[in-house]
Amino acid sequence: MSGPILEITGLAGGYGGADVLRGVSLSVERGSIACLLGPNGAGKTTLMMTLAGLIRPRRGAMRFDGREVAGQPPHVAVARGIVLVPQDRMVFRTLSVGDNLRVGALRQAGGRRIEADLERIYGRFPRLRERRGQMAGTLSGGEQQMLAIARALMSRPKLLLLDEPSLGLAPLVVEDIFRLVTEINAEGTSILLVDQNVPMATGIARRVHLMEQGKITFSGEPGRLPEEELVERAWFGRLAGNAATASREEVG
Amino acid sequence: MDDYWLGILANMGLLSFLALSSYVLLIGGAMSFGQQAFFGIGAYAAGMATVLGAVPLGVALALAAVVGGLAAGALGAATLRLRGFHFSVASLAAAEAVRISLELFSLRVVSSEGRMTGPNGIEGFRGIRYLYERGYGPVDFVLLIYGVLGLVLLALWLSERRRFGLTLRMAGEDPVLARTLGVDVRKARIAAAAAAGAIAALGGGLFAHYNTYVEPSNFGMMLGVHGLAYALIGGLGAPVGPLLGVGIDILLVEASRIFHGYRMVAFGGIVAVFLIFRPRGILDERLVNRLRAWAGRAGRHTPDQPAGEAKGAS
Amino acid sequence: MLMTLPAGLALGSSYALLAVGFTLVFGVLRRVNLAYGATVMLGIYGALWVQERTGGGPVLMLLIVLIVTVVIGIYVEKLCFAPHSRRAAVTSMAASFAVWMQLEEVATLLLPGHALPFPSPFGQASGLDVAGFRLAHLLALGCALSVCAGFWALLYRTGFGLAVRALIESRQAAACAGIDVPRISALIFVLASALGAVAGWIIVGIDGQVTPMFAMWATLKGIIAAILGGLGSLPGAVAGGLLLGVVETVAQRSFGPQVRDLCSYLLLFAVLALCPSGLSALWSAAGASRAAEET
Repeated sequence: MSGPILEITGLAGGYGGADVLRGVSLSVERGSIACLLGPNGAGKTTLMMTLAGLIRPRRGAMRFDGREVAGQPPHVAVARGIVLVPQDRMVFRTLSVGDNLRVGALRQAGGRRIEADLERIYGRFPRLRERRGQMAGTLSGGEQQMLAIARALMSRPKLLLLDEPSLGLAPLVVEDIFRLVTEINAEGTSILLVDQNVPMATGIARRVHLMEQGKITFSGEPGRLPEEELVERAWFGRLAGNAATASREEVG
Repeated sequence: MDDYWLGILANMGLLSFLALSSYVLLIGGAMSFGQQAFFGIGAYAAGMATVLGAVPLGVALALAAVVGGLAAGALGAATLRLRGFHFSVASLAAAEAVRISLELFSLRVVSSEGRMTGPNGIEGFRGIRYLYERGYGPVDFVLLIYGVLGLVLLALWLSERRRFGLTLRMAGEDPVLARTLGVDVRKARIAAAAAAGAIAALGGGLFAHYNTYVEPSNFGMMLGVHGLAYALIGGLGAPVGPLLGVGIDILLVEASRIFHGYRMVAFGGIVAVFLIFRPRGILDERLVNRLRAWAGRAGRHTPDQPAGEAKGAS
Repeated sequence: MLMTLPAGLALGSSYALLAVGFTLVFGVLRRVNLAYGATVMLGIYGALWVQERTGGGPVLMLLIVLIVTVVIGIYVEKLCFAPHSRRAAVTSMAASFAVWMQLEEVATLLLPGHALPFPSPFGQASGLDVAGFRLAHLLALGCALSVCAGFWALLYRTGFGLAVRALIESRQAAACAGIDVPRISALIFVLASALGAVAGWIIVGIDGQVTPMFAMWATLKGIIAAILGGLGSLPGAVAGGLLLGVVETVAQRSFGPQVRDLCSYLLLFAVLALCPSGLSALWSAAGASRAAEET
């Protein structure tokens, strides 16, 4: 199949009364890494949670793999192949590393396949194999992030949603994470990545989407917008009115 | 008015104290299963004051309120860390411990008439005859109960319009936010617990003198939970809410005898269904505000009085 | 003192089953079901009502108790828990209390009377002693322990159990990992009801009778044991139940029933005021304090 793996148009909604998302439209090419940038409070996490089914959108369309999926419950999203690694990692702290990984595969039928997947994952993450009997809460921040991503892989995602995977990690660990993301992508998994590390994120992404105040204000290849401006707007939002007007042409 | 209806009225009045006691804690976000303990403490304290101490009833009631308030305040301080269900269970455990302590509590003295009197463990505490000895009848009791109830309502109404009420509601709504705004949540919660204990103890003191006889089993969990249910049904918007709850249960369900024999089946079902549609009771904050606004508009012609309270004074 | 241990553990093991039911619902739903004891009681009364008409032995009784309790449990869930949003934990607790009152009255309308004889599964054994211990106590202890073991295997040896443990840890993370949270939650309610039914069947089996006080008794004992162990902790619930059973038995033998009850309430209050995470604080510093804050 060709065409984008994910295509959303006019998505609006959020927690409680006010809409955090105010008509978000973007698409993720099959087999690519797309990167979502924007200042705090722009609605990036809300968008990721909506895509994962944790929040029901109020309006808008969401096509995944050629099928309309807006409003699907989270477990259905996972079964269809949309898997979120949430912002605060959310490993099961009192469960062992091995059990954490198995939870990711609960939707897959058949214990033997789970164990085979588990072997594959341990091959890629030797640190997790070493610590498979340990409680996940005792892992370091970087290891927990690895575990969260590994658990998502156990669900066999077609589209992996990564919400700030490098948050609060040491620079060397951040490099590991980004290397891992490119590897996963190279094996055919499409990725939508939110991260504040603009140089690294734009370095691996085929397309960049800039989100400000609940809307996408720029979509395009990373080179189309000077990196300085991307950094500035990803961190501080729409400071320069002129730049925003200029880039609006690129949307759509 | 016949004795049956006087009895109903007296019961409604007495239960209202308990409902108001739960109400004060509920608006502060705490759900107590143990207010019956302070009702019991008040009953014993006031009874012992008039029977053993031979003081006038007014003094005895004041004493009951002080004892109940102190006990409840101390308990509130001990449970300050607890939230939600843990607080509810702690209050229940304390109340049951109080009830069993009353079962073990005996203080027998010889009265002026030469009979043994005073609390007698599980047998209870008989002969609290202050009112009868002075020739008061059932109508006087009812007037007394509603007089004291009126004072409590007035005090609650006044304090709700001042800082205390606001502080308490904020602490109940969002303790973290309240704290960041500089509200002393701990102080507010202890004060609320003490006030709730005092209100319940007043009701207990009146109950002891109305009934002339109390026993520890009067103050079981069911009593407290009824008070709680009344506050939840009636509404947490204004102090008359809990009274409305009492009225609904006693007048509509019990006294009307429509559900005779199936009273709890009906009451339980009504409450459960009710909570789905009005989780903060009939007279919740929104309705009270709407009534206030409406009363404010009408108030250009009549003296300013919030609609909610106008009903409750009767 | 040592002689009271089997009796205490037998009593405690049934407390443990009740407490596991509470802690399971609390752990997964962050809710407290006050109608729990009444649900089980109606199950027991229902079985007695059927038995009055058709007859039947202890095993058939267990089956009917299970079925009725689970059906009533679903009714409670639909009325008190499903309609309330996640924030309204207190409201749903109040609703479950109202339903408690309702179920209790239904039970007493079904079968009036103070104490009803219940066919004891340990009937023939009740008089016998083994090495100085009452055989009935040993049998009850064995029953409760095998249910605990089966439950443990379900939790730690199956995918369903893994999903439940994940859900107890974090609802949102479980949803992200693809667990069908509403379905597992509903199953938890059914499972808790079933555990309560077995516990009730064992308890009234030991006593040989059931009274209308059973609803309150079962709810209170379950809650006390669950909190002693640390609400939300499954091993804590078992430990809390056994501890409560032993403390009560010793206090009863030494000082009589009033002091026994006083002891258990004072113990409960002390645990809540001083260490709200209960016994589970002994083995998990991380998971337990959470329980006290989240309600």
